[in-house]
Amino acid sequence: MRPSLSPGFAVLATGAAMAAGIYATAVLDEIVGGIVSGRGARAAGAMLAPVRRAAQLVLQRRAATERPDAEAWALAPALLAGLAAVGMAVVPFGPGLAVAGIDAGIVLFGAAMALVMVAVFLQGWSANSVFPVVGGYRFVAQALSYEMLHMLVLIAAALPARSLAVGDIVESQAHLWNVLRQPLGLPLYLVAAAGLAFWGPLRLPDAEDLAGGTSAELSGVALLLWRVAQRAMLVAVAAMGAAAFLGGWQGPLLPGAAWLALKTLALVALLVAARHLLARVPVERFMWACWVVLIPLALLDVFLGGAQALWAAP
Amino acid sequence: MIRDALFYVFAVGAVLAGWRVFRADSMVRAAYWLLAAFVGVGLILVLLGAEYLGLITILMMAGEMTIMAIFMVMFMMNPAGLNPMTMVHQHRAAVVAGVGSFLGLATVGVLADFPRRAADATHTTAELGTELLGDSMLVFETAGVALLATMIGAVAIASRRGRFGDAQDGSAPPGIEEPGEERGPGEGAGEAPEHEEMEHMHHGGGAS
Repeated sequence: MRPSLSPGFAVLATGAAMAAGIYATAVLDEIVGGIVSGRGARAAGAMLAPVRRAAQLVLQRRAATERPDAEAWALAPALLAGLAAVGMAVVPFGPGLAVAGIDAGIVLFGAAMALVMVAVFLQGWSANSVFPVVGGYRFVAQALSYEMLHMLVLIAAALPARSLAVGDIVESQAHLWNVLRQPLGLPLYLVAAAGLAFWGPLRLPDAEDLAGGTSAELSGVALLLWRVAQRAMLVAVAAMGAAAFLGGWQGPLLPGAAWLALKTLALVALLVAARHLLARVPVERFMWACWVVLIPLALLDVFLGGAQALWAAP
Repeated sequence: MIRDALFYVFAVGAVLAGWRVFRADSMVRAAYWLLAAFVGVGLILVLLGAEYLGLITILMMAGEMTIMAIFMVMFMMNPAGLNPMTMVHQHRAAVVAGVGSFLGLATVGVLADFPRRAADATHTTAELGTELLGDSMLVFETAGVALLATMIGAVAIASRRGRFGDAQDGSAPPGIEEPGEERGPGEGAGEAPEHEEMEHMHHGGGAS
């Protein structure tokens, strides 16, 4: 067994990392939005704006729909946030230091990310309303397209490490990070990451053409929870991207956790910039691009990873 | 101790979720209760030291149950699957099949010679792979790639914009009037349809 943390500290560390990541995402979103729209980036305003919006949503009265599936509706944001926490728990923040440093870490991450489809579909389905249910079905089409891509690039990253443990994948990048060793990996992963967090150009279940889609009937605390859960998912996939492609906790001078946080924030900033700069992709075009272009490229990436595993064999 | 408690939580949870599958009144709910039961079983596999098998069960079932729910919704005359509907039928056959399979599996569970302790959890994934596949790894991998190629081929052929042209070529949208059918003068829209038209309507979406 790998060295593990005490359960109490593990839960606390995951929660703190998630909360810090969600807040940092909201602030970054504010700053990049200000720059792009020409309002200018004011740090103080950007720090306060997310807090103000959250407080306003907490105070807002929650609107109800006719005969919703109340249990599933309450479950959906909790499930999404919980799955993000599972994803975060797998990522190591130091040599042998992870909340869930299990041997099949990549598989646990993949299982959590596969259940994201269930959470988003339930959110859309349980409101008993037209636009949310269309958004839910649309997300299933989206998820089935990026899912293969997501797992294939992670498998390619795991191949040179000859291990499914995320800690081993990080350590296999001691000399050369996967972003250079497997140049196809990180760009393809970021497409899947945006799809997983239905973020930016891939905000298809929540899109404007569906009048808000899965979040169309959400208000008050429910909307706040859904937004928080979505940003938690964004942080979790960015953290895994940092571990699998950017060398995770490795780096000079600073402690491992700080390097992981910096790399995660860099990927979050990239995804936030994509949200403000790139147009939303129609779902048909996204599916076509995934199945016809990106999944074959991901298979190429797997073959490359396999070749590296063979040549690096001890 | 905690391990035992967790086992009972997952086991009882899986059985309760399995029971809810038959009490649910919607296709989506039934599918996701079944998913909850599978998650319970997967977590029990993780407790037994087969973490790869347990997690891969959850990973596969998450997608499969969603796809199953969508297929059920597509085959049923139930818009978006939102209307409640009963999820059980053929009661007698179902009871016989259920009791029979429970007795069969319970017999195996009671009579089989299980090891007293869970396996040492260091390299279970690698050992499991060797145990399951042994020297046939290449054969299995080849079969896997062949299946993947077949699926991609099936998608390419079934695609609406496939390489053989637009799949909707030659098909007509379901109209209120049959295409190409002329109505005589004096026949209004409100009149009762002709016998021939009734036949067509039965083939269309008129089934209730």
